[in-house]
Amino acid sequence: MKERDDNPCRPRHFKPGPCAPAALDGPVKASLETSHTRLVIAGALFCLAFAVIGARLVEVAGFKAGDTRVAHWHSVEQQPQVSRADIVDRNGVLLATNLISPSLYANPKQIQDARSTAHALAGVLPDLSESEVAAKLASDKGFVWIKRQLTPRQEFEVNRLGIPGLQFEREERRIYPKGNLAAHVVGYAGIDNKGLAGIERSFDERLRDRKQPVALSLDVRLQYILRDEISRQITDFNAIGGMGLIMDVNTGEVLALVSLPDFDPNNPGTATPETIFDRVTLGTYEMGSTFKIFNTAMALDTHTATMASSYDATNPIHIGRFTIHDDHAQRRWLTVPEIFEYSSNIGSAKMALDAGIDRQKDFLGRLGLLKAPSFELPEIGAPLVPAQWHTVNSMTIAFGHGISVSPLQMATAVSAVVNGGVLHRATMIKEPAGEAPMGQQVMSARTSEEMRKLLRLVVERGTGKLAAAPGYLVGGKTGTAEKVAAGHYERKGLLSSFIGVFPITEPRYLVMISIDEPHGNKQSFGFATGGWAAAPGVSRVVQRMAPLMGIQPVDEDSPEIRRSLMVDSFSPSGRNVAAN
Amino acid sequence: MIRLSTIAWGLLVAISGYAMFQVKYEVMQLEDELGRVNHQITDSREAIHVLNAEWSVLNQPARLDQLAKRYLSLGPIAAAQVGRIDSLPQRPEVAAAGSVAAPAEPSKPAAPSAPAAGLRVASAKLKVMR
Repeated sequence: MKERDDNPCRPRHFKPGPCAPAALDGPVKASLETSHTRLVIAGALFCLAFAVIGARLVEVAGFKAGDTRVAHWHSVEQQPQVSRADIVDRNGVLLATNLISPSLYANPKQIQDARSTAHALAGVLPDLSESEVAAKLASDKGFVWIKRQLTPRQEFEVNRLGIPGLQFEREERRIYPKGNLAAHVVGYAGIDNKGLAGIERSFDERLRDRKQPVALSLDVRLQYILRDEISRQITDFNAIGGMGLIMDVNTGEVLALVSLPDFDPNNPGTATPETIFDRVTLGTYEMGSTFKIFNTAMALDTHTATMASSYDATNPIHIGRFTIHDDHAQRRWLTVPEIFEYSSNIGSAKMALDAGIDRQKDFLGRLGLLKAPSFELPEIGAPLVPAQWHTVNSMTIAFGHGISVSPLQMATAVSAVVNGGVLHRATMIKEPAGEAPMGQQVMSARTSEEMRKLLRLVVERGTGKLAAAPGYLVGGKTGTAEKVAAGHYERKGLLSSFIGVFPITEPRYLVMISIDEPHGNKQSFGFATGGWAAAPGVSRVVQRMAPLMGIQPVDEDSPEIRRSLMVDSFSPSGRNVAAN
Repeated sequence: MIRLSTIAWGLLVAISGYAMFQVKYEVMQLEDELGRVNHQITDSREAIHVLNAEWSVLNQPARLDQLAKRYLSLGPIAAAQVGRIDSLPQRPEVAAAGSVAAPAEPSKPAAPSAPAAGLRVASAKLKVMR
């Protein structure tokens, strides 16, 4: 009891009575009990409140030390906020990106001396017209643009002038660091952030929605090599244009795609329709003798001819108003390998006759040459196929006239011919490593093997000798098509192509080059055919790209390789002629 | 007694008040610093983004080709310059130990060609972008 009296707040003058009344009864007791109950309830509530606060305190202090929500509030964005994702090549090299670049504007009301400010600005931004800027700054507006999208260096220079009234506004700008190099693949986007061509157009939504870059199947190094060599052939042969592509024959991935002349996607305004036109995917051409690859594969695969069959190529064929003759005429019976090697039109036409229209149509259809391919670029050309497939069509299609396909379709189909007979859809997007893409078996593996031997024959001693790249076993086929002008074939307007595959024993890459309207020169003895205008380019591309792709050169004369590439069905006369 | 507890309570209030303000100011300072660092990170990331683009521009194959032609006396690797490790001849001692009948004679050309091949591989690597 004594301790309770030590309450410091007790009034000094108050002393409790010596003892409480002995007993309580009636209304006093009742009211005391009521207040007691209330006190207990109130006390319990307070206790509960404090217990909750205490528990929360322990929880926050003891168990939520590493709460990420707080840290997350204060953390910064992972990447700079841009409204369009990057485009990169298969090795992650940047092909298109959005840069935030400052744009310079001024508030003329704050500018003290318009004339001297304009002079200073023209000093650091040389492409500005001083008088124009002075006029802008002297106006009574509250806002004028001086120059849009400055470089960081220009921004620094303007800041260093220290003129009040000049301000920067941050704007986004799409830039293409590689310029012309992959213009037709990457395409370009307009100022309103909308893709207008190429991957920029076909992946427009994907580029805007997700921030991960789009990885193309393209390899910038190969793209450069191919472009370099094609432009060299164009210059050498004084041609109007050229195109080509490099394809992985086992996946259908396009590693390089070149169409010349090209444009700079950084300034799409300066491009003409001619430069924007993608010859590889949108253009369709009569490909000429390279089509004999399909004709021969068809004959072998449908067993209407074997490697030992022979055809009479002594005289030109006259059919309707056409005459089919040979450019490298031998004027005798030729075996199937010889027809391919000398690129005989007569022999090919006769092979197609033997197979018949239905088999030809079916085979070309299986290779995807009769309808527009599905591809990631929006610029896709549909092939031009005869509406009525008569015998004469069948005979001209045998050597690549009377049917127009895009170089992309051509490359896709040739890949299937050499890779064991599996057709892969051509793609511009990088395939995940280690996954074998699904393909469609369109011919027997045996036919494919025989075709590889024939393709090697063309480079070893046929029309494509200049495509040889020592050590890398190039196989391929030349093609020289006369372009149609005003309804008839132009003797001078040629499309000269070469389709090469290497290493032919186990094909990995296909290199195709076509030169548009080449003119013969002194080095080529006046020839402008595929074997002269396109084949040397393929040879140089192969020699430059093979070390990059880790392809081991081999001894082309080693007995194993000789044996594996031996064509086993030569007639004795054929062997003699070939040796000459 | 009474005075003592009053003083104790007073002290406690003063100390806790001081501590509270102390912590508050520290937190404010840290928040300022966090903001500054975050700003720096954003700036650096933007700079990296710009520099990546610049790197890509400077690495245009055509430009590298030109620079390589001007400053390096190297060309693309020819097929003849590429070899296999296992196609190299054995080193002289090993060859001698292996066959007593034929001493160093067959492995003689190996000695000068092996280092030369190494040099070529090194220069080839430099030339990869061409």
